[in-house]
Amino acid sequence: MIALKDILVVAPMLVLLVASLIPVMIKVFNSNREPAPFVTIAYSILGLVAAGFLTASMSGVKQTAFSDALVLDGMGVWGTYLVLGSAAFAIMMAYDHVDTYKRLFSEKCFLMMGSVIGTLTLLLSNDLIVTFLGIETMSLCIYILIAMSREEVLSKEASFKYFVLGSFASAIFLYGIAMIYGTVGSTQIPAITAKVGELLTNKNHLFYFGIGMLILGFAFKVSIFPFHFWTPDVYQGSPTPITAFMATAVKTATFIAMLRVFQSTGYQAEPKLMSALSWLAVMTMTVGNTAAILQKNFKRVLAYSSVAHSGYIMIGLIAAAFGDNYDSAAIIVLFYLFSYSIMTLGSFALIGILEKKVGVGLNVDDLKGLAKKHPVLAAALTVILFSLAGVPPTLGFFGKFSLFGVAIEQDLYWLAFWGVLNSVVSVYYYLRPVVVIYMTESDETSDELVATGGLAKATLVFTAALTVIIGLASSPLLEMVRAAVLNRH
Amino acid sequence: MLLSLIVFLPLLFALVLAILPKESWIRPAAFGFALIQFAVSLLLFKSFDPATPAVQLAEFFPWVPALGISYLLGIDGISFWLVLLTTFLLPVVVLGSWTAVDKKSRAFHCALFALQTAMLGSFVALDLVLFYVFFELSLVPMYFIIGIWGGQRRVYATMKFFLYTMVGSLLMLLGIIYLMFTARDTLGYMTANVLELYKLKVPFVAGEFLNPQSLLFFVFSLAFAIKVPMFPVHTWLPDAHVEAPTPGSVVLAGVMLKMGTYGFLRFVIPLFPEAAEHYAWVFLFLGAVGIVYGALVAMVQPDMKKLVAYSSVSHMGYVVLGLFAMNSYGVTGAIYQMLNHGVSTGALFLLVGMIYERTHSREIERYGGLAKVMPIYTILFFIVTLSSIAVPMTNGFVGEFLILLGGFQANKAFGSLAVVGVVLGAVYMLWMFKRVFFGEAGPLVKDEHHPLHDVGVREFVVMVPLVILIFWMGLMPEPFLKYTKASVEHFVANKDAYQLTILESPVETGKLTAAAVADQKEKK
Repeated sequence: MIALKDILVVAPMLVLLVASLIPVMIKVFNSNREPAPFVTIAYSILGLVAAGFLTASMSGVKQTAFSDALVLDGMGVWGTYLVLGSAAFAIMMAYDHVDTYKRLFSEKCFLMMGSVIGTLTLLLSNDLIVTFLGIETMSLCIYILIAMSREEVLSKEASFKYFVLGSFASAIFLYGIAMIYGTVGSTQIPAITAKVGELLTNKNHLFYFGIGMLILGFAFKVSIFPFHFWTPDVYQGSPTPITAFMATAVKTATFIAMLRVFQSTGYQAEPKLMSALSWLAVMTMTVGNTAAILQKNFKRVLAYSSVAHSGYIMIGLIAAAFGDNYDSAAIIVLFYLFSYSIMTLGSFALIGILEKKVGVGLNVDDLKGLAKKHPVLAAALTVILFSLAGVPPTLGFFGKFSLFGVAIEQDLYWLAFWGVLNSVVSVYYYLRPVVVIYMTESDETSDELVATGGLAKATLVFTAALTVIIGLASSPLLEMVRAAVLNRH
Repeated sequence: MLLSLIVFLPLLFALVLAILPKESWIRPAAFGFALIQFAVSLLLFKSFDPATPAVQLAEFFPWVPALGISYLLGIDGISFWLVLLTTFLLPVVVLGSWTAVDKKSRAFHCALFALQTAMLGSFVALDLVLFYVFFELSLVPMYFIIGIWGGQRRVYATMKFFLYTMVGSLLMLLGIIYLMFTARDTLGYMTANVLELYKLKVPFVAGEFLNPQSLLFFVFSLAFAIKVPMFPVHTWLPDAHVEAPTPGSVVLAGVMLKMGTYGFLRFVIPLFPEAAEHYAWVFLFLGAVGIVYGALVAMVQPDMKKLVAYSSVSHMGYVVLGLFAMNSYGVTGAIYQMLNHGVSTGALFLLVGMIYERTHSREIERYGGLAKVMPIYTILFFIVTLSSIAVPMTNGFVGEFLILLGGFQANKAFGSLAVVGVVLGAVYMLWMFKRVFFGEAGPLVKDEHHPLHDVGVREFVVMVPLVILIFWMGLMPEPFLKYTKASVEHFVANKDAYQLTILESPVETGKLTAAAVADQKEKK
């Protein structure tokens, strides 16, 4: 029986669906002529904003819908804001990006919004089957978005790679769900988390396999070692706005879904699981950072940096699952995802602005002369890079500060130590573009640096400003997230 | 609000400079701003009460209340002169770099003023996280100053500088977080306020390395040791100095290195007293080795600037030695030596910069007989050399003498080692002086196509205040020591359980002054 409150919880998704359909419908009824890009983006942004307001109107109380299949709590609300914001910026970047300009833009927006709907489903899912549905909806749209790129070789390769590996991971995920269902007798996340302790203490092997496969499935989506190999290729081959969307919204939603699965003290019954996850975190950070140093292509640098950030976020996840204060760790993970998303959007926006050929992207050395030709963009990128490197008083610093704080609070000293070491390593490749921009003499080749895309420029400058402003005044945001998450019960 | 004004005024000036319409106004405006900034900092004399060790002019606002992070500023005898040294050096640097920095002067001065804010902030911040923010922030402008306006290998040098410092400070960040959680467990609330953290008794077990206090002590020490820099983590310094432009070197040596020794004095020793006591020998040893090592390496340098850079390693070794002697002679001497080093090494870098501007070479071998061509320059250089090798009547003597007194009291062996360093110091400086100024005229000096001019008016004006300070601090140390005395005595007397209170009203020896009343009114 579907009640009104069920509809209300999914209302943001319905709004998104309608808003994304309108431009496509206009096109269909207008003898397949593309509506003005401005109209398309207006509908999309309006839809995203309306979805945001709808979510805000429902926040404060924990709500469930469709027989507890979906849950809208503080974590879900903030995750939704984050996803909607990331999507809005990604669409803004796509608006006048080389790859999309005036070509199939309404379809792209439709798919992007479809992916957002999948992401929101994933965020709010309270049942593993729904989680799976969310992941699939989200991913299917992205497969198409990548393949739609004008670029011939790299994007097709990326799309195919992502599709094959993604399907593989989905299969594993689904298999994990089946095994968990076999042992718990339910796919509802609360029912599973309630029995985790008991099953792990009894060394239920089927459950071990189940939870392991579940984690593997998630690990693929957020590119955790050793399931990160697709990341640089796919990120490089995809149109940059899509890359930005994948690196932010998809990651945010998947990590929050992981947080939901990990919301149980029962995991403490199996310390081996914790040490396995810790090793994954350490390896993810280390591999991401060391590989990033070796890259020449700026997009690949950022791809590996995003792998490394997944490793950092894992620290927060481990603290949430195996510590004694789930809420504080969950808050920090959300806060870190927030800071990570802002910085990632900004840095990909710059690539979108400067790249002239999709998929090839630009090398770090191509940034030479940026300071002279586009001083504002150069300064904004520099701020974001310093923030990624964790230099105070930027948002990136406070993200890392709170993340290491949570690790130390839960006595995860080794993880914090590895996190710090990795931060130092990462400084090297984050500052290399700064060196190229400001400290190398620019020659004539820098004339090729043509910046296109007003909205993408706005995204870059806006995110750079946010990293400083929220960095200086992180307290209100942290308080709001805290209040929202603690209201969960 | 005086401290906030002093800290953030330079940042405001940096913004003004950034939007100044004409390129040609930048230097005069920057010089004017620097003087205003110095004048404002002189107001400290009016409101600072040297008779008490308590923290004065404190300002407190919650920043991230959930984590106990606050905006807490305060000044006491330990930081008083460092703040003034910082503000004093800025006009000197701006005037000194009038012609040395010839490209992107707008960006350069913005970076310089932003750096000023970061440095001043780290001297007056009494909240560990706030301190960390300023401490790290100071890296960014310096990173650009070396990287953009530096010499040939500037990128290598600036990356090395940044990464080295980052390693230490990020580990310290973990220590800070740990301390904050220890505060939560023992005091009942989370805080990064140093005055509160002083009350913590971090568990310490003598003779065992893996205990919280020892680990924290070494984590903090590493961060500050890299900054000082102490032997054996000093290797970034020569590179940074050689590649940095003259004003960058002056600020780096003059002020930034002091952030390390200041950190030892303000945070490491008071926060971890037992570990500091227990491991003092390590630092006495490293300090003494640094003195001798720096001097020996300086002796064989063919490059003047590198020689001065290594002399910095040597001089900062004295400061560490004095600090870890942990008696009133040693600590007073260390604070004094920090100022001396700022003045005399700053002056040395300026002088080396002046000759470099003329010849574009710093190779000692290519000079010789400079005394005949540039007599005034020679006299200035000689005075600064004397100060650097601590000849009586100059400032260097007072500092080194006090440190050696303290060092001998603490440990005779390391004290004696340091005395060897004094002799070696005289050797490398005087030998360099001899090779550059006397003897056969070198190829650069007798080059008739490029005759060398003696110091100009601007250069002379830059050097005069430094020379005056050298003699003033050498002949009459009392007025300077007066301001640090109470704090140092408090520090030495309570080194096992160091605590600081905040002085509520600035009372001067019992009676309220007009300034104090005005200050109080302002507070209300």
